Amino acid sequence: MQENILTQQIARINIYALLSRLLMSEVDEEMLELILKDENMLSFFPTFESWEKREHYSNKDLIEKYLNVDFTNLLLLHLIPYESFYTREDQMMETGGDNPVQAIFNAFEFNVALDKARVMAADHIAIELEFMYELAKAELKAIEEGNMQIAKEIAQIEYGFLKDHILEWAPMFLLNMKNEAGTAFYYDLADFALEFILSDFEYLSELKKRDYDYLAGSK
Amino acid sequence: MDINDLNDLRNEFEALQKRNMLLEECAEGCELDEESREEYPDYLAAIYTEIMPPVKSGIYFSRWDLKTLASTLGESFALDVRERMFKKFMQWVGTPEDMQEVIRVFKEHIDMKCDLYRDYSERYPSSKPIFDEKIKKADSAKRYLDKVYTEFFT
Repeated sequence: MQENILTQQIARINIYALLSRLLMSEVDEEMLELILKDENMLSFFPTFESWEKREHYSNKDLIEKYLNVDFTNLLLLHLIPYESFYTREDQMMETGGDNPVQAIFNAFEFNVALDKARVMAADHIAIELEFMYELAKAELKAIEEGNMQIAKEIAQIEYGFLKDHILEWAPMFLLNMKNEAGTAFYYDLADFALEFILSDFEYLSELKKRDYDYLAGSK
Repeated sequence: MDINDLNDLRNEFEALQKRNMLLEECAEGCELDEESREEYPDYLAAIYTEIMPPVKSGIYFSRWDLKTLASTLGESFALDVRERMFKKFMQWVGTPEDMQEVIRVFKEHIDMKCDLYRDYSERYPSSKPIFDEKIKKADSAKRYLDKVYTEFFT
């Protein structure tokens, strides 16, 4: 009875994990191989799939000569992937303990190892997507255990965090990332991330409309 | 009745009428935000403080955006700290005509972004209120650019 719900939930978890990983650090050979071998994952990168440079370079060379350069330009040098920049009037990033997103993470005991993640603040796009990944995982566990009230409460948090945080700023960042990408891979990644967060919000909004009754949608 | 009282009454009435007209004009969402913005010593500070922050204009002007906008006006500068790039761009302005050109390219950029917001709003209706809010800010930003022109270049 819950087959569709579980499948959808697993897909959401996987996509949040994939997006968080790819926006956090450079893609490595292993990760690229994984994407290229998996038809589902590759379908999210249609421009990259037919990118002519793939015919001329090995994955290793492609990463070193093009993808890493693009990642650095887009996520480290020229664009700002931090929520506080988009929500503060002084256009500064909040790297200290006053960051409102950090406060939310603290409340949920979601610990961010900033140095390990190589980010300056917890409101980095990859970290916010990882938070969604953790929530979606917890929601799945609750559904599997038949604990629907807990699942509902987690879905409510997901809805609120997407609405009040991610969707407030990430579309602005991702539109620029898409526009300024120098490789098909990061162009597709920006497009995929934007389409996914918007479609996931659509899904959560529908779920909210039916008071988080998971089964109502699958009848 | 004293003539001064009549004058006061008329002034009050006119002020009220002016305010009502303003409210009617703004009924479709412009708010009184232009009035509530701060006063600035120059157009550079005004635009940097009121248009450049995404939270105020609903638009993210990146380094590449600034470089591209400047290049459409024949100006070129290296990628640098965003604020420095913005200052270099604004220092290019030498005449009121230059400023009109800057405002034109800024508005075109804002319109392009708003078109994208509208497109996503149509495809993902649940996100429409979020994008609508950004479009509203962007419209206000465009009006503010005109105000800056009037204030500092006429």
